[in-house]
Amino acid sequence: MTLLAGQILNGIATGMLYALMGLGLALIAGILNIPNFAHGALFAVGAYLTVSAINAVGNFWIALVVAPLGVAVLGLVIEYAGIRRLYAAGHDYQLLFTFGLSLILAETIILIWGPVGISQLPPPILRGGIDLGFTFYPKYRLFVMVAAGLLVTATWLFLEKTRYGAIMRAGIENKEMVSLLGIDIHRMFTVAFALGAWLAGIAGALTAPIRGLSPGMGVDMLGIAFVVVALGGMGNVLGAIAAGLLIGVAQAVVAAYWTEASVAVIYLVMAAVLVVRPQGLFGIR
Amino acid sequence: MSQQKRRDILKIGALAVTGLGFPAILRAQSKDIVILGLWDQTGAYADVGPLNDRGMRMALEERDMKVLGKPIKYITRDGATQAGVSTRRAEEAIDEGARFMIGPWSSGVALAVSEVAKRRKVLHLFSGGTEDISGARCHRYSFQWAASPYTAAKTVVDNFMKANPGAKRWHLLIADYAFGWSLEKYIKEVGKDHGLEFVGADRHPLGEREFSNYVQKAAANRPDVVAMVNFGADAVGAARETFNFGLTPKVPLIMTWSSGVEELIQLAPEIRENLWVGSNFYYTADTTVAKRFAASYQAKFKTPPGYAPSSAYSMTRMLLAGFDKAKSDDTQAVIRALETLQINDVVGPMHVDGATHQTLRPYFFLRCKPKAAMKHELDLADIVATGDTPLPKEYASCKDIGGF
Repeated sequence: MTLLAGQILNGIATGMLYALMGLGLALIAGILNIPNFAHGALFAVGAYLTVSAINAVGNFWIALVVAPLGVAVLGLVIEYAGIRRLYAAGHDYQLLFTFGLSLILAETIILIWGPVGISQLPPPILRGGIDLGFTFYPKYRLFVMVAAGLLVTATWLFLEKTRYGAIMRAGIENKEMVSLLGIDIHRMFTVAFALGAWLAGIAGALTAPIRGLSPGMGVDMLGIAFVVVALGGMGNVLGAIAAGLLIGVAQAVVAAYWTEASVAVIYLVMAAVLVVRPQGLFGIR
Repeated sequence: MSQQKRRDILKIGALAVTGLGFPAILRAQSKDIVILGLWDQTGAYADVGPLNDRGMRMALEERDMKVLGKPIKYITRDGATQAGVSTRRAEEAIDEGARFMIGPWSSGVALAVSEVAKRRKVLHLFSGGTEDISGARCHRYSFQWAASPYTAAKTVVDNFMKANPGAKRWHLLIADYAFGWSLEKYIKEVGKDHGLEFVGADRHPLGEREFSNYVQKAAANRPDVVAMVNFGADAVGAARETFNFGLTPKVPLIMTWSSGVEELIQLAPEIRENLWVGSNFYYTADTTVAKRFAASYQAKFKTPPGYAPSSAYSMTRMLLAGFDKAKSDDTQAVIRALETLQINDVVGPMHVDGATHQTLRPYFFLRCKPKAAMKHELDLADIVATGDTPLPKEYASCKDIGGF
């Protein structure tokens, strides 16, 4: 029983990170209507920038703020210089562009940081663990769970409660109408992509001390992010959060009893949900 | 978004994941000796393939890309760490004239490639943890460079218990494929001699990235030791989580079958404390060939060579020694030469057991140094012991290696 409780806690912590990744991808898929295959690479860039920032300023917290902003700026550039030209071109061109971009980013990581993986320890104050009674748990993971939870909530509040959030949601529903109302839809696309990139970057930054860094780290996460988006309902924010948590917890619980299936369960859950609800958990269409 | 578009995105995604191959047209002239290096550039061992390639190239360049006065044509293909892709790439290379091949890195994939070697009558050298290449599925065309999993298990368990006689409760974390199963079996077997109790043995998929679940289970078993049988990014990720969850350095961690320096430099010094490592090669090995190879490798690539480049380097040298000994580039003549080959190479004295095609050679056992004891950044570990006990006859499952 204590094992199960520990695993569920673990699943929530991991699931929050998945949700953060899925949320960014869902925003981009929903508003820009493109499959962003570079999302994993942006996640990796976020992690690497964090390590470089830590080495430069010697402070984890500053790095945690600065590095994701760097990824957001990268997102701005990518949207402005590349993706913007492909909105009318169809999914295959957008896919080729973002997929190519992910390869370029991964190779650039190798050029700058080298092909061999890197370890990054949590900040000193978050090293070690706490005895929660039923399990011993790393402080840093608890921090990630709370931080990711807050970020996901803040993003959701931004979309639900602010004027610009309402415009973005309207953009998901009907771009032409939003455009007709005199709103600069191109600027909204740029903001949405940068916001998605920022979320990927911050997920990368938070993940670095847990999983370490390697040039291929984005590929692993990209698959999961797509599962989260498909599972939650394309472009659905609440769906992405629920799907991230569902996958994280499913993985952890399965690992308690049948470790061999811990990767397969991600796809089994997706298949099972899509059979019952082809539109995803929270999808409407 | 419409249903149609959503489906499109998913479909295109699936295509992108499965459909991308790397076409390569390369026809060798008949006087060339064509050697294939089947090294993964994508998939779970994407990080290892480029290192294998480095080692193989260095061995060929030492000989100016020539053997028996003939030019060597070295071709390399990406097997994508998948059996289907790897066998296809091997078949294509054979069609292009390759009669000698080395690789790939994953045991499970190599077993499939070994079948191609047998069917197409091509000499195949491999280094990895499955015992089947020189065991149940042995045949005349495939050779195993790595130590037998029995040799590895015996070296690691015996020497670890010598240093930690009280550590009897072991928790195992095992990569769930051919290599992991072989080693698990022999660790349990050798463990009997030491009265070990295995309080847990969890298997994880190759390419697992979320090890917290496993480590939490391990911690719940309250073991004296956590021993891992996994490799590369899996081993690094699991070692990191074992530290994050506060198990190491309180509880010693063993990497049973490590790449050596390449895995160790990915871990912060704090994580390496109380880490014990078994490996097919460590760069401070006290042999002439290792010293020379490590120096020139480090001059070229900055880090010292680990198991991946060293095995590719040494297998290539073995193959070339086979040509020299046979004085011929006829596949079967080279195989006969290798079957009785004795060579002093990177790990020390090695020879091939002609009856099984298993290379008999030393296996290394290391203890990582605490941060304070490290003299420089790469002073990661001491070689505590080496062991070369061969697989006892009663376990040998290669009964008859057969003819050509």
